[in-house]
Amino acid sequence: MLIDTFTTTVELRTYEACREALFSPHLSRTFDTRGYHDGNIREGIVSTAHGPMHRARRRVENTQFRPDKLRLYEQELFPQVLSDLLDQLIVGEEIDLYRVGETLASVLASRRTGLDIRERDLDELAAIVEFVDIFSQGAAILDSKDPEAVRAMVYDAYERFDREYVTPARQRREGLLARLARGDLEEDDLTHDILTALLQHRTDPSLELMDDGRIVREVATYLQGGTHTNGQTLVNAVDLLFEAEAGGRPGLVERTAEDRAFAQRVVHETLRIRPTTPKIRRRTVADVTIGGQAIPEGSLVIVDVVTANQDPAFGDEPARFDPDRAIAGDVPRWGLSFGGGAHICPGRTVAGGFPAPDAHGSADDASADEHLFGLVALMVQGVLRRGIVPRPGDAGVRDTRTERFTRWAHYWVRVGAPRAASAVR
Amino acid sequence: MPSHDTLGVRLHTIGVMGAIVSIDADFCVGSGDCVRLLPEAFELREAAGVSVPLPGAATAPADLLVRAAQNCPTGAIRVVAEDGTVLHDGNG
Repeated sequence: MLIDTFTTTVELRTYEACREALFSPHLSRTFDTRGYHDGNIREGIVSTAHGPMHRARRRVENTQFRPDKLRLYEQELFPQVLSDLLDQLIVGEEIDLYRVGETLASVLASRRTGLDIRERDLDELAAIVEFVDIFSQGAAILDSKDPEAVRAMVYDAYERFDREYVTPARQRREGLLARLARGDLEEDDLTHDILTALLQHRTDPSLELMDDGRIVREVATYLQGGTHTNGQTLVNAVDLLFEAEAGGRPGLVERTAEDRAFAQRVVHETLRIRPTTPKIRRRTVADVTIGGQAIPEGSLVIVDVVTANQDPAFGDEPARFDPDRAIAGDVPRWGLSFGGGAHICPGRTVAGGFPAPDAHGSADDASADEHLFGLVALMVQGVLRRGIVPRPGDAGVRDTRTERFTRWAHYWVRVGAPRAASAVR
Repeated sequence: MPSHDTLGVRLHTIGVMGAIVSIDADFCVGSGDCVRLLPEAFELREAAGVSVPLPGAATAPADLLVRAAQNCPTGAIRVVAEDGTVLHDGNG
């Protein structure tokens, strides 16, 4: 069994109760109490840790998600890579948009994670995407239909991933850190990525990182998280746009292709309607009261993100895909799709950018040049501008390996005439 | 990376006149959300990986201070009004 016996099971559905649960320090993500050697494929990684070690790890890793680094990626690095890759990927009459999304997303996820890959080599990117697919099944093991098969597959993948990518990357970075220690290198000359940050602070006992296996699993977690959500959200955004146009709302695709601020709202609305993790689970580590409901220690709490994201807090007709919807107060446009509280996705601003000023303004919105729209908005505009159109019939194939209904295995689109500019500005 | 700053201080508090704003360095994970919302009130200390309140926090708008505290992922921020009313209690 992956999950221990629980005192009780509680499912939360309102936005406020779900948010309160995610922000509670008494709800843990730790479920699998078996040790690493007994088969816990996620032992010791930040996303399942709880308490002081989790916070220490996040302090180190959050340094890689600062606004200056996000701007470097979104405004300088990604546009050219995106354009070059789309030249290779959008060819012929029909393409699998799922594969395009995962490939695009894997490039910057690899760089941010600290893997030294050939960024314009489709064969190399395909190998990375294959690892991401396996790690994604591992991340969703609680929803898996065959957890033991997933466990075995992930173990095998960790070994190959370490040998082919992590060990070479680690050795290179350890060399750079040694030069820094000798005074032969400045701090700015280091690689700026998660792996470097972990290695730089590895001797800090609060991080609990002395085991090489934990480094591999942590790197795999960031690669998977950085790739999978972005790739799936690209497909879901395009699917929702095509569905809305087919349902009698013309002009949405054109507007998305032309207007980046609107494209960002499309992405946020997509995340709200189609969260890549529809249900979030937590285990209570103390007696708590959530949403006025007393929940004893040792309970399983299920946060129904899909229902919470369609709460009246999101305005009129909350089930409808409406990128222009008005949302009052401090409710994020993407709802709880990036989680919340201590375990909120650290890459949410990579994917979704900064909150739009009409949602809940921040200092980063003060200047249009400084505003970040998020990489998925760039990806959506990139593929739409290349002229993709719906393929008649059953174009999409859902990933049925888990219960997470918002995930795709394939999504076929036709390539038509380019819209607006052919390259993302 | 230590959870306490280089001076070994756990609780950073600002406020002589106006609101009293505290950040518990044991709970703060340096997400930077408070800094993005209120740069005049909060600052990231990269060496420690945590945010600290600035003197501007004491006179920042109370509603924005509360929003920063409510959105802090780990509940590290506590805001107390000048009259002693606890506007937002943290987890520390």
